[in-house]
Amino acid sequence: MPPPGPPPAWPGRPPPGVGSPLQHPVVPVPAGSVPGVTDTPQDALLELAAHSRSGFPHLVAARDRTERDLDDLRRRLSDVPRDGTTAVVMMGSWGRRERTSGSDDDFLVLVDGERRPDAEPQLERLESLLGLGEAKPGTQGIFGQQVFVGPMVRHIGLQDDTNANLTQRMLLLLESVPVVGRESYRRSLEQVVDGYLAGQAKDYRPPRFLLNDLIRYWRTICVDFAGKARAEEQKWGMRNAKLRLNRKLLFAGGLVPVLLCHLQRQDDQRAFLLDALQAPPTDRLAHAFLRYDAVDEGVRALGAYDRWIGLLDDAETRAHLRGLTREAAAEDPRFRDVRRLAKEFEQGLLALLFETRLSPLAREFVVF
Amino acid sequence: MVSHAIVDARSITAHHPLGTSTGHVVELRGQWDLLVRRALDVSTLAVELAALSEPEFLSLCDWLQDAGRGLPFRFLSVHAPTKQLALPEADLVELLLALPPVVDAIVVHPDVLERPERFAALGRTLVIENMDGRKGTGRTAAELEPYFAALPDAGFCLDVPHAGSIDPSMGVAHDLLDAFGERLRHVHVSSVDEDCHHLPLTAEDEEAFGPVLARCRDVPWILEADLPRR
Repeated sequence: MPPPGPPPAWPGRPPPGVGSPLQHPVVPVPAGSVPGVTDTPQDALLELAAHSRSGFPHLVAARDRTERDLDDLRRRLSDVPRDGTTAVVMMGSWGRRERTSGSDDDFLVLVDGERRPDAEPQLERLESLLGLGEAKPGTQGIFGQQVFVGPMVRHIGLQDDTNANLTQRMLLLLESVPVVGRESYRRSLEQVVDGYLAGQAKDYRPPRFLLNDLIRYWRTICVDFAGKARAEEQKWGMRNAKLRLNRKLLFAGGLVPVLLCHLQRQDDQRAFLLDALQAPPTDRLAHAFLRYDAVDEGVRALGAYDRWIGLLDDAETRAHLRGLTREAAAEDPRFRDVRRLAKEFEQGLLALLFETRLSPLAREFVVF
Repeated sequence: MVSHAIVDARSITAHHPLGTSTGHVVELRGQWDLLVRRALDVSTLAVELAALSEPEFLSLCDWLQDAGRGLPFRFLSVHAPTKQLALPEADLVELLLALPPVVDAIVVHPDVLERPERFAALGRTLVIENMDGRKGTGRTAAELEPYFAALPDAGFCLDVPHAGSIDPSMGVAHDLLDAFGERLRHVHVSSVDEDCHHLPLTAEDEEAFGPVLARCRDVPWILEADLPRR
């Protein structure tokens, strides 16, 4: 899709007679009350791109590439034997619709129900179809696994909620897309959402159980990053850049819909969350920037993220960042640019959370 | 539901991140340790080290090489010299390139650039500021356009009172944000007198600037005068 041309008038410019928006009333903003903003975040990135002179070309290209690759993958997996309870689910850049030339195949075979040895497809059936060459999924025991939804949902918190279980559950919620087995995938997602909401949800309140787990997950990623950095110097530059950008996008893209449950009655929160989580995190964030009248900030934040996706699509840049130790990164001009993009991205997210009408919610629910 | 009674009455000083420029602390000019200490009283998060004359800039380069790494700021900009310029422009660019990585932004005035393309090597660290009504160029979006065309990676620093000195209705400021908002890296905030000298922000200007600043909620706001007293 070609990037849209310059907007006829900048939407952030207040109409005549409007006073200082620095004083923002703390009232909920139902989506219907904002012209042009719908209840669903699907494709909101493209709406925000229409307000940008750049048009987010790298994100748009990555989204197009992901859709093409998903179609291709669906064709390749269509003949793989599968029972009615399973789905092959892509995670990571696939789920974020951000595939670039260097993306790998982070996948799970998601099995609806309890652990059993005969769930199809078995992993070996996928060996020749997924994760070939450089696209090999991560080696931390998270991806390239059969994952059973029963224990995943039953063990939220406490000793049995291992790092892998927490990570797989969160990534399923926040950045996943089914290749085959769409119905099983949907049932699994519903079970995970129900696992958080059942007996916990309240009218017009963000669901605390889910919110706390989401925050725990983000902080766990940060702590694990530091742990890995102590254990090995390798790949510090790339890991740090992804923490500052991709992982932060993931966290914020989950935080926003969870906070927005405050607009919903208890009975409606499930459908609201399931709808929001079907959209890529860039859509969820773009939707929030539009809804909360932070178009200028959203254009800058996602513009910075767009440039990062452009850098990730460059093999030489990827190799450079992978080879960068923490010590070398401090003086490295290219890493300095990445760090600057990450700051711009973070500043936009902070403005969304703390300088708009989302601020009272962030203050009330995110810290404690 | 969140109470409607929680009303967040914001003021300029509540912005995050807010920092100060050292440029208005005339009595400490060139004494970077003391200037930074003064800036830390305003904020430990953002600062602009203003080296408005070339001799000041040369002393700042030396000082930053030693002290730069120990500074706590999360956003640090350096204002490049605009006065007493004696060095060839290419040499000035070399010195700017040699600033340590702790420097996030280097602010330049477009009206003193002889050949803007010389500054391209500074990449995204370079930030172009809009000029006030006394200057012959760099004041409006149309006048700044050629500079950004020559320096496509450069960021933009919106000096709000500079724009207000040209158009008190703040239409020029909005035009600048319409044209270069995607490049916005930080803003300068103060009031100015008739000669465009920076003064603490008046209540009237705070109100007039509000809608413009509300489009800049994500970037650092740098005060170019003492904190306003209310």
